[in-house]
Amino acid sequence: MFARLLGESFARNPRRKVLTAAALVIGMAVATATLTIALEVGDRLAREFRSLGANLLVTPESDTLPVEIGGVDYRPVDEGAYLNEADLGKLKTIFWRHNILGFTPFLDVPAYVSETGGATTLIGTWYKHEVPVPDGTKFETGASATHPWWKVQGRWFQDGADECVVGAGLAEKYPAAFAIGKTIHLTQNQVSGDGRPLVVTGIISTGDAEDNAVLLPLPVAQEISGHPGKFRQLFVSALTKPADALAERGERAQTDKNIQLTPTEYDRWFCSPYISSIGFQIRTVLPGTDVHAIRRVAETEGRILTRVGTLLWIVTLAALGAAALAIAATSATTVLERRAEIGVMKALGASNALVGGIFLAEQVLLAIAGGAIGFFVGAGLARFLGESVFGTPAAPRLILFPVVLALAAVIAMIGSLVPLRRAAHFRPAVILRGE
Amino acid sequence: MFWRLVFQLLRGSRGRLGVAILAIVSGAAVISALLNLDLGVQNKLTQEFRTLGANIVISPASGAPAQISGAEVPSLMPERDVLAALQQLPSAQVSAAAPYLYIVARAQNIRVVVAGTWPDQAQKLDATWKLEGNWVRSREDQSQCLVGRNVARRMQLALGNPLELHYMDRSAQCRVAGIVDAGGAEDNQVFASLSAVQSLANLPGQIGVAQLSVTGTAQIVADYAARLAAALPQYQVRPIRQVTEAEGALLGRIRLLIVSMVLLILILTALCVLGTMAALAMERRKDVGLMKSLGGSISRIVGIFLAEVGVLGAVGGLLGTILGAALAYWMGLRVFGTAISPRWEVFPATIALMIVVTLAGALPLRMLGNVKPAEILRGE
Amino acid sequence: MATLVQVENLRKEFGNVRALDGVSFRVDAGEWIAIMGPSGSGKTTLINILGGLDTPTAGQAVVDGTDVARLDEAGLTRFRAEKIGFIFQQFHLVPYLTAVENVMLAQYFHSTTDEKEAQQSLERVGLGDRIEHLPSQLSGGEQQRVAVARALINHPKLILADEPTGNLDEANEEIVLSLLRELHNEGHTILMVTHAPSIGRLADRRIEFAHGHLVQAAVASLKPELA
Repeated sequence: MFARLLGESFARNPRRKVLTAAALVIGMAVATATLTIALEVGDRLAREFRSLGANLLVTPESDTLPVEIGGVDYRPVDEGAYLNEADLGKLKTIFWRHNILGFTPFLDVPAYVSETGGATTLIGTWYKHEVPVPDGTKFETGASATHPWWKVQGRWFQDGADECVVGAGLAEKYPAAFAIGKTIHLTQNQVSGDGRPLVVTGIISTGDAEDNAVLLPLPVAQEISGHPGKFRQLFVSALTKPADALAERGERAQTDKNIQLTPTEYDRWFCSPYISSIGFQIRTVLPGTDVHAIRRVAETEGRILTRVGTLLWIVTLAALGAAALAIAATSATTVLERRAEIGVMKALGASNALVGGIFLAEQVLLAIAGGAIGFFVGAGLARFLGESVFGTPAAPRLILFPVVLALAAVIAMIGSLVPLRRAAHFRPAVILRGE
Repeated sequence: MFWRLVFQLLRGSRGRLGVAILAIVSGAAVISALLNLDLGVQNKLTQEFRTLGANIVISPASGAPAQISGAEVPSLMPERDVLAALQQLPSAQVSAAAPYLYIVARAQNIRVVVAGTWPDQAQKLDATWKLEGNWVRSREDQSQCLVGRNVARRMQLALGNPLELHYMDRSAQCRVAGIVDAGGAEDNQVFASLSAVQSLANLPGQIGVAQLSVTGTAQIVADYAARLAAALPQYQVRPIRQVTEAEGALLGRIRLLIVSMVLLILILTALCVLGTMAALAMERRKDVGLMKSLGGSISRIVGIFLAEVGVLGAVGGLLGTILGAALAYWMGLRVFGTAISPRWEVFPATIALMIVVTLAGALPLRMLGNVKPAEILRGE
Repeated sequence: MATLVQVENLRKEFGNVRALDGVSFRVDAGEWIAIMGPSGSGKTTLINILGGLDTPTAGQAVVDGTDVARLDEAGLTRFRAEKIGFIFQQFHLVPYLTAVENVMLAQYFHSTTDEKEAQQSLERVGLGDRIEHLPSQLSGGEQQRVAVARALINHPKLILADEPTGNLDEANEEIVLSLLRELHNEGHTILMVTHAPSIGRLADRRIEFAHGHLVQAAVASLKPELA
């Protein structure tokens, strides 16, 4: 009889159910969408932060002091230590290899331009370079990934070609010598003859010291400096998780012998994409290097990510609250609407428990159906939101499905419990009189 | 009579309307909190982005912004000109500004970059520096200097050690007041007071570059840079693109997120009001039938109900806005550590939004137009 | 005497059911008519059509020169406000409004409200001390007297009463009936549905219904007895 009553109750007033169902669907869709976005936003924003460029710097460990001003190393080529270009593929073999979004080696060479007779700095680097990875694949990276704000008028040099890109400051100073399409000759010292000819393909404006330098393919710079296969600095752009207490302990444990991580702590640290653990993993595959977090970038990123994350969670909770309220209100409405029915049932001798049971069962069934539809609508909504906010759609998370269903059921139950409790206190006569 | 009716109706179904007003108040609270936050977040986040360091650089028109021994003759600019230009412009937006004169000196026979600057401002420019020891507080203090982490390691310097700097035939001495861990090129540099470096290099009153940290949106920074450039036509004034561009893009995304959340919550609020109003309309069908039999036109009857709902929206909106301002204040403290003060423009905006939403939620009242008094009054 | 209501061959169908099947009669101004008959015979349907709450399927129903069948929604609304006063079996007061406000509601829909006048009309039905009470604070008889005051407030041409005493005990029934009698004596035209013969006998004339037909429209006038 219970099932029959339930079935009747569904069949009799389908139009009224529509509203409750709609509230459930929309409410749960919003809940799904906000949760999906909130779960993903850290990752998405971290990726956005990579527009700030590299957050890790790799230098030789036993180096002399770099004479670096405004990002350009002015040391002569015969001073200091170098790193091997051939090892770079190993970066894509570390535990967090997928978080390594890009890396660019730099080799700064003081040189002279024959056309102007002036001293300048050559910066050998990659723009888009295919790095062979030990597992046999290729990884394309370079300044395009680690220095995305660099703008070139004209075009970038071809990887490995006899071409170069000239800083805007230099080009302004010597417009005749550094026009696009001109050939310039570079030498290591002022006296030696012709030098290496390179075609200017573009003018670069970085807003930094590169504006007064000549950028050229790394192999060409290596050749001019006489250090084939070598470079001095490596900028790495990695997706990281904001630092917390564990990250800091992990970092300090590297240098401070007094701090020891327990094996569990170590595992957690190693398996979290903290900037310190990624730095540690890079040092493991590139021995003899010093890996520093570029703290200015890493810390700003970490702090903003944490704050925006907290903010978004609060907002998500607010949205969930609003959804819950909407659903609870409509559930309450359905119960209120049917007080007359409750009165009749009670007049016929139904206990409060039975009446409540029927209504609760109905609400929960509705909630589960509405929650299920809401989940899929919400997944679509999240896709759309992801697309419009971050440019790529947010993937649906199946883990949210049971969560959303349970949420819907609980909210609908709470929403109907209050009016049901009130209905329990009503004497049937009062309800039936219709006041 | 109209308003008397409206208020009697409001009083009469206060239980039912309580649910609606709860929805409206909480919707309005969340929206006003988010709107306050959206306006506040911009300020707070730009503040956060200032830890990225300088975003405007003033340097001589061309050539390397440094003095390199052995390289090209350095381009320098007089300190006085730059300071004069900075003083002309409003200083409120500038959170820090420091002149730099870089020279390559020798210490313990090792070549090292020495940056002459104002230590108090350099500290503000680079908020992420970790310092072991003490900052040099005074610009005039020539006796103390800061050394980068790598410099300290290579030269085996500890806090309080003397450091002898040589440049051509001159020399100067300072005491190591602090060791800087900057996570960048600064780890390889020595920081001394500007006047000390100027006299060491025999370049009185000259600087190589000035760095500024300007607070505000990308647009504000660009505007400031443009005005500075106009005041200093002989020099190059560049916004640092790495910083300004990333900042703009990120702020844009975060604001978009907040705006989409506001929209979603608006929909939910409307939905909640809609549900309550549908029930209310159902409940009031008898009253409507009666009013119709008394000769009330449907537009007049619905008008009364709409006014009722409008009052509900306005009251709920007002309460919610105040609550939301408090919420934003709390969220500001919780998320950013400083309170977000409410903006007056949020008040009318939220209340208007809530009235619109409630009226939209009152759509079910339209079905009252179809009420047939004869059927309703028969008592079914 | 002038004819106030003229019904010609009035038909009303609800789907296949004929509630009214060719009803014709006329009512003079100042008459008190009792409409009688068993449940489902079409009495209430007739009242609803005459009151502009329902529209006939065919035929004419002219009240004070206006054919109700030809009015549109807005016209019906005006017609109800200006020409008709309703008294229902279930009283139908707005539960959130006080007695005086319920009366004022009719004024409001008619033209403008006048609280004094509304109070006077309540005093007239003997509720001078119940003016600010809500319907739930009034007894059934008191509620019906508020309804009578409301029906009268706009000086309607025609008072339509559908079982006005159906929900009342004897004492209250007597009060309401004496009110109706007073109205009748003042010259109001009253159409009253009832199935109690004792009440029907109070009217000038009885119209009896069965299955949507007029059974007897005779001038079974009891007026002389009453007069």
